[in-house]
Amino acid sequence: MWQVMEGSHAVAEAVRLAGVQVISAYPITPQTHIVERISEFCAAGLLEARFLRVESEHSALAALIGASTAGVRTFTATSSQGLAYMHELLHWASGARLPIVMAEVNRALAPGWNIWTDQTDSLSQRDTGWIQLYCEDGQEVLDTTLQAFRLAEWVNLPVMVVLDAFFLSHTHEPVQVPSQEEVDRFLPPFSPSFRLNTETPCAFNQLATPAVYMEMRYSIQQAMASALERFPQLEDAFQTIMGRRYGAVEEVSTADADVILVTSGTVTSTARGVVEALRNRGEKVGLLKIKLFRPFPAEAIRRHLRRAAKVAVLDRNFSFGAGGIFAQEVRAALCNLKDRPQVFGYIVGLGGRDVTPALITEICRKTWERAHPEEADEWMGLTEVPYESGTAGP
Amino acid sequence: MSPPHAPTEYPPILIPRSFTTTEGNKTGSWRFLRPRYDEKTAPCSVACPAGEDIGRIEMLVTQGLFKEAWETILLENPFPGVCGRVCHHPCEAVCNRHDFDEPIAIHVVERFLADMATRYDLRPKLPKLPPRPEKVAVVGAGPSGLAAAYFLTRLGYRCHVFEARNEPGGILRWGIPTYRLPEAVLKNEVVLLEAQGVEILCGKRMEMGFLEALRGEYAAVFLGCGHGRARPLVVPGSQLPGACTDGLQFLESIRLGFSPQLKGTVAVIGGGNTAVDVARSALRLGARPILIYRRRRGDMPAFPEEVEMALEEGVVLHELRTPVHIEPSPSGWSLTLQTMEPVGQPEGLPAEVRPIPGGVERMAVEKIFVAIGGEPADAFFAPPEVGAGTLKLGNCLLAWAGDGPPLVYGGDLTVEIQSVVHAVASGKEGAMALDVLFREGLEAVEPILASCRVGPGPALSMEVFLKGLRCRRNAHVVKYSEINTDHFTFAPRIAPPRLLREERIHGFAEIPLKISANLAMQEAGRCFHCGLCNQCDNCRLFCPEIAIHREETPRGRRIDYDYCKGCGICVVECPRNAMSLEEEEAS
Amino acid sequence: MKVELPDHELMHSGHVGCPGCGAAVAMRFLLNGLGEKTVMVIPACCWSIIAGPYPQSTLKVPVLHTAFETGAAVATGIRAALDVRGERDVTVVTWAGDGGTFDIGFQALSGAVERNEDFLYVCYDNEAYMNTGIQRSSSTPYGAWTTTTPGRDWKKMRKKNIVEALAAHRIPYAATASIAYPDDLVAKVKKARSIRGSRFIHIFSSCPTGWRIPSELSIKIARMAVQTNIFPLYEVEGGVRYTINLKPKGYLVKEYFRLQGRFSHLTEEDLDQIQEMVEEDWELLLRKAGTMPSL
Repeated sequence: MWQVMEGSHAVAEAVRLAGVQVISAYPITPQTHIVERISEFCAAGLLEARFLRVESEHSALAALIGASTAGVRTFTATSSQGLAYMHELLHWASGARLPIVMAEVNRALAPGWNIWTDQTDSLSQRDTGWIQLYCEDGQEVLDTTLQAFRLAEWVNLPVMVVLDAFFLSHTHEPVQVPSQEEVDRFLPPFSPSFRLNTETPCAFNQLATPAVYMEMRYSIQQAMASALERFPQLEDAFQTIMGRRYGAVEEVSTADADVILVTSGTVTSTARGVVEALRNRGEKVGLLKIKLFRPFPAEAIRRHLRRAAKVAVLDRNFSFGAGGIFAQEVRAALCNLKDRPQVFGYIVGLGGRDVTPALITEICRKTWERAHPEEADEWMGLTEVPYESGTAGP
Repeated sequence: MSPPHAPTEYPPILIPRSFTTTEGNKTGSWRFLRPRYDEKTAPCSVACPAGEDIGRIEMLVTQGLFKEAWETILLENPFPGVCGRVCHHPCEAVCNRHDFDEPIAIHVVERFLADMATRYDLRPKLPKLPPRPEKVAVVGAGPSGLAAAYFLTRLGYRCHVFEARNEPGGILRWGIPTYRLPEAVLKNEVVLLEAQGVEILCGKRMEMGFLEALRGEYAAVFLGCGHGRARPLVVPGSQLPGACTDGLQFLESIRLGFSPQLKGTVAVIGGGNTAVDVARSALRLGARPILIYRRRRGDMPAFPEEVEMALEEGVVLHELRTPVHIEPSPSGWSLTLQTMEPVGQPEGLPAEVRPIPGGVERMAVEKIFVAIGGEPADAFFAPPEVGAGTLKLGNCLLAWAGDGPPLVYGGDLTVEIQSVVHAVASGKEGAMALDVLFREGLEAVEPILASCRVGPGPALSMEVFLKGLRCRRNAHVVKYSEINTDHFTFAPRIAPPRLLREERIHGFAEIPLKISANLAMQEAGRCFHCGLCNQCDNCRLFCPEIAIHREETPRGRRIDYDYCKGCGICVVECPRNAMSLEEEEAS
Repeated sequence: MKVELPDHELMHSGHVGCPGCGAAVAMRFLLNGLGEKTVMVIPACCWSIIAGPYPQSTLKVPVLHTAFETGAAVATGIRAALDVRGERDVTVVTWAGDGGTFDIGFQALSGAVERNEDFLYVCYDNEAYMNTGIQRSSSTPYGAWTTTTPGRDWKKMRKKNIVEALAAHRIPYAATASIAYPDDLVAKVKKARSIRGSRFIHIFSSCPTGWRIPSELSIKIARMAVQTNIFPLYEVEGGVRYTINLKPKGYLVKEYFRLQGRFSHLTEEDLDQIQEMVEEDWELLLRKAGTMPSL
């Protein structure tokens, strides 16, 4: 059934259809529409779940750690500061191998206060052992959220469904909402292989000495590898029922492209338009959208990028002292190839600044013009501002 | 492509999740101090000349195990009914509870148990050894002789008790007024004694030749014939006919059923229990008795409680006076008294006294009773001088002269303090000594008896002698400071009901009334049970290691040294010092 | 003692608590009152270690070890999950130290009890961060030495009154208890177990290692804390109805302080001042319980 809804509500619809049993969340802009809609579902009896209105994001995830260990399907949503506050427990959830699903609305971190989109919040959590799936539009948000539960429960790892603030969370689009029957066919009820219970009492998450800690960590990595391997199978199943699939990565006209843009999130949609326009002018531009960031689909990325001369990675995020995070990952994926493309990094749209077709066109042109990147990353569209003088050095 | 609902194959998983217990950690290896159950000695049991296991008796009463409590007394003393009434209970004087609030009324509980046994006509189950070939004669059926016969019988010996009078009991039967010791109480306990196999032959007065005859038939003779004769008062006029009445004879005549009517003032010379008994009996027969004692009230050998009650009933005490002259007077006798004064204040000892120059008083009395102690009725009953051929024990004397069988002099003839319970102690000691003598020889008597001491002694325990559970007790006497008083609450000592003074002075009815089982349990429940485990479970309760377990043994508990870290909580939280903490032996 | 410990206990030997650990004793009594139908949450505290490393567990009830500040929140989640699963007969219990309760876990605790989440939160209070090596917490009493309040910098702030803080949330049940009074403790656990909503029990659990006391005095010290009115035994129902469970004999606080190395630096004047503070607190409590202090 087609419905016009904002990205936040697409998340909520998926949560309802997944029959989530315990939801725990703390409000933060721009995540609020997600939890408000879920609250409405609960209040209206459309979702038989316990909604825990906890006093912080930290407790939101803590409560789900409890609930998930006790064997129920769980969900939370947050953003930016809230995610940063959860950080400790992100590690806990993955280390405890709990299939918690979270909708994470990309928002810039303060200071200064900024509620607009920026990927640094979620990318800062890349080492926490969560599977990260970045979404481009409302339909993908709904579908990915449903897939997230299946994936999480399959490999016993938590999954973060990532969507851009406002551009996606608050933008209304037509979304095809699957029927409950279709969802039930795709997503079986949660039946965990271990569970906190009084019949077979045991302790979870106790002290792990150096003698076993490494093996436990390796087990998480095995699960990540397994998630990467099984993601296509999962999408096959999804496609059989829903008729849609996304791929861990999606390529657009990369086969003969000289320059391939690499994007994630809503910027991808803008980039699609630019690629189409440039192609119409005969320029061999391609596009690679990265949806699955953790586990990182390095093999697929190599396959699509290796024949291109240049790759331009658009990063709406930044790792200070290093560079754009997607660019780093792409470079790392390519670095062992014999004939590898030049990788140009562009920092764009931080803190919700617009990433326009013109800006992406300029990026293409710059990439075209230069033989090699002049610096690791180029910050696009910086304006003249009055800087203060810094403290004198030694 | 896998169908959506196909059985899901999960990747292998390793999570921090337990699948075993911590019992593999033998935390006992951390220990450098080792707790152990170590029952110790209660001060009351040391003070009791009969060595009764008082702490345990009170414990059994608290648990409602009255018969077992009564039998526990009988292990050491055949006369709980008697001693519950007339013993001066030195046990109570040393009771650790005294430092907390008030001592346990041990004698009240003892009396309760005996009365309970009588009411339900209980028969005790006591350990008895297989028969021995030796026969023992006991001369005198007073407390020491009966006790000696009782213990010897239990040790397997055949015993004949020869008693001059027509009933057994000695001083208990003839010398103690019934308001203190009703006749039935004694009779009941003598019956129980006979049930154990003791044979009492009454009306057999001992003569020199008779004793010689006994020597042939018996392997040993126990002489517990007491002081059959009163020590006379020797002052001018005391020999005049009718001037002095022997106090003991007066008491005996009452017990025989002659109750002379008295009137006017009577003097009772003496400060012992007999003197007090005479005064109180005289009061009951209509006289106004005045006790004449040469030292101070506090120095009187009579039990303070008895003196207290005597005064309460109306007996007058003239202390620091001694008779010097008696002469007839129109109304009876004129008694001249010399007033005395103490010399020095020796700590804990009777004061030395000397006459005050010119301090002479005269009083007119109807009658003069003398109760200043006794001596053996016949000279041959007197024990020989300690020397070659004798062995002086705590409360008796072992003598072997020539080729005859050994003699044991016991009871009042040899005891340190003349009391019923010392007489019992003497009988027990004599029985033990003879048993060792027969089995192991003379050399073994002293060491074996020493090994049966209750704590540091001198009281001896028959249970220990028979290698009972009491052997395990540490001789250390528990001090008040070693009691964990946190586990006790203040509770007043029982004040057993008594006849009113007005009821008392008109007859010879027993003064203390019976108490209920409830009250007895309550009183026994106050007992610290010093050094004894009463299964309170504190050790197990407070153990952080769950290293103490219940088990079906007399001790009831076991320390699992695989896990005990030696923290010592069990030892400190033991309310009664029945555990010890010792340095772990280096292994 | 009226407490009857069953022969079959819900805790194993071989745990790795220090000798004389009051928290181990407290756990035994707690489990005695709770029974098998219990799920336990243990945020970071001494018990994270005591319970045993992977693959061991010293407890026979299910345990979820969690991050330091999450005790109340995790319990909230477990309760919700059990409710969804229809397991209403299981009691969810958080077992946290004073650090996890008074300090880092206080936000989650306050949040959860404000929502009146249906769990029992038990704080075993050993008055400092013992697991990390005796650092001061807001539960450390006035006058105490810790490794972060050494020398002349001994703690000069009062201990946070956590029960009052919890009572201020108007929760159905809040109580103090002591390892030295097992019957009272177990009775309170049983009572708490029978109540729905947020319940809080504050158990005074001595720490021989951190308090510098001989291990064998562990229980005695706890008892003295009660007897000196330093740690009164009381209950608060609905945040307003106070019941004092034990009227102590009122020993002087110095008798308690003198036994402990952590207070050895205090002068007579300091102790007099502490005595006044204790009396003030006690009178406040008496007033709340509707008992005017005796004049």
